[in-house]
Amino acid sequence: MKRIQAELIFLRALVGVNLASAMEYRASFISQIVGMFINNGIYFVFWIIFFNQFGTIRGYNVDEIFLLFAIVTLGYGLGFMFAGNTRQYMAYLVAQGRLDYYLVFPRNLLLHVIFSKMIVSTVGDVAFGLIAYSFTGRFTLVEIGLFLTTAVLAAIIFVGYSVITGSLAFYMGNAQYASQQMTNAMLTFALYPNSLFSGAARMMLYTVIPAAFVGSVPVDIVRNQDGRLLLLLVGAAILVWLIALFLFYYGLRRYESGSAINVNI
Amino acid sequence: MRDVVVHVNGLAKTFRVKQKAAGLRGSVRSLWHTEEKEVTAVSDITFSLEKGEMLAFIGPNGAGKSTTIKMLTGILYPSAGQASVLGYTPWKDRRKLGYHVGSVFGQKPQLWYHLPAEDTFRLFARIYELDMGEFQKRRDFLVESFQIADLLQTPVRKLSLGQRMKCEIAASLLHRPRIIFLDEPTIGLDVVAKQQIRDAIRYLNEQEQTTIFLTSHDAGDIESLCKRVVIINHGRLIYDNSTSALKRQYLRRKIIDVRFAEPLTAPFVLPCVETLKQGTYGVKLEFDGREIPVETVVQQIMAAQSCQDITIADPPLEEIIREIYKK
Ligand SMILES: Nc1ncnc2c1ncn2[C@@H]1O[C@H](COP(=O)(O)OP(=O)(O)OP(=O)(O)O)[C@@H](O)[C@H]1O
Ligand SMILES: [Mg+2]
Repeated sequence: MKRIQAELIFLRALVGVNLASAMEYRASFISQIVGMFINNGIYFVFWIIFFNQFGTIRGYNVDEIFLLFAIVTLGYGLGFMFAGNTRQYMAYLVAQGRLDYYLVFPRNLLLHVIFSKMIVSTVGDVAFGLIAYSFTGRFTLVEIGLFLTTAVLAAIIFVGYSVITGSLAFYMGNAQYASQQMTNAMLTFALYPNSLFSGAARMMLYTVIPAAFVGSVPVDIVRNQDGRLLLLLVGAAILVWLIALFLFYYGLRRYESGSAINVNI
Repeated sequence: MRDVVVHVNGLAKTFRVKQKAAGLRGSVRSLWHTEEKEVTAVSDITFSLEKGEMLAFIGPNGAGKSTTIKMLTGILYPSAGQASVLGYTPWKDRRKLGYHVGSVFGQKPQLWYHLPAEDTFRLFARIYELDMGEFQKRRDFLVESFQIADLLQTPVRKLSLGQRMKCEIAASLLHRPRIIFLDEPTIGLDVVAKQQIRDAIRYLNEQEQTTIFLTSHDAGDIESLCKRVVIINHGRLIYDNSTSALKRQYLRRKIIDVRFAEPLTAPFVLPCVETLKQGTYGVKLEFDGREIPVETVVQQIMAAQSCQDITIADPPLEEIIREIYKK
């Protein structure tokens, strides 16, 4: 209990320093949030026009598209609001020898790395996710509860997956581009109804790029109020993190440091 | 009883480095065929360090100094050998060790770049789980020792290198480490800043018996701080003894500066003595004390011409080090 408390005090301080650092550039801070909001909005308008033309698409109504959007953007935003390092830099930290900074401190390494960089623009994603949900017309307590729970699980899976892709750098050197693109792909595929894909492509969304677990699976859970599927999703989150932890800590033994000059921005 | 703080036995580290032929052709070829070369950064070094010692760990570029420090602070896994720092195996007990070790890498700042140093200090207090009252006292003590009171509120990016370095070292001492690893803490600093940092480090060592493990390319750092020198070259330990022994052992050469009363008319030459420089009224000579005793040289000089002044000096430590590195 005392351990957990110390950990929380530390993480709060870390997030505080992070926010303070981001605030140093107030203009960019605000423009990033607004930019993300507009970005999501364009996507959204596209789908509204699309559904006005065609009605439904393979079992998805427009309100289910809203639900899909709500879960994915809220999950993504919640996850990477704190885990900016794994979203953008982890492979780079590893390849450039910048883990040195974290390794000398008496802290849980992965937690320290994850919480050391916030992405402020994700505030735009969170707000967008909540607004999108208000269009779904699902306002019973159970539905709202399932929505929030699955969004948090999606956040956990998003971050776990980014740890996996970032850890590739331990094994293949310069993996920064590949690792970012894999997380990008997960986000992009998550925003499409699962039923659009079949065969190998569909298989991929449950394995290599586990977009289904942050998109269509949560949608099914909310719209069918499916408790068993929810348990499966929890299992998937645990599995993703087991793989992430293994790849990270096993890779750490191969960590080679380096002499790059680093600054904490 | 002696209190051993660091014990290193047969420690070694080999890196795998990808090799690539020069130019675009090499880059393209390396896409499907990579050759790896093994680089031995540290091979089989053994030494130990007692509580309160200040050790200069020196060697030419690429000798393996930073690699050794990284193994001793738990950053790198070694390829072979054992090490114990404060009773912990660094790469296994990284977190436990972290509470008692400080480290400053001259080339890898720890302070947050956009924030005032004070903010990083507060974060460190949380990282090391310091009691806030204790932290305040410690902070005030370090601010006093390093004279950084008026630097703490300025964003670090706006500090000069020397100012930043003082804050860096102070930050690494907040948790009262029992040993501190300093990897080139004075790199790029001017004479005054170097001196301030040396003074503060010495003061800390005297006050708290903090063990100091220092690497530097500055002979001044070594001379003014460290009683003991360990030299490594090509990853091997080649010297481990006191700084004064190093001087005695290698200081067979002496340098003599002479000022004459009258201008010189001919080249000034003595047997077994090398003339380094000759001006109108003076010469600078160097000789090996084993080939010819000091008295003989001085007698010969005085016999040759009447002198106003003679000074005999040892070559600077820097030159000794250069001699050793060349081997
Ligand atoms: N991450 C790495 N990957 C591959 N080789 C490395 C790595 N780090 C160091 N080396 C190699 O190991 C050797 C020792 O390097 P190290 O950085 O320990 O030297 P150093 O004594 O600190 O030198 P300097 O005085 O230049 O800082 C060098 O040949 C270097 O090229
Ligand atoms: Mg070095």
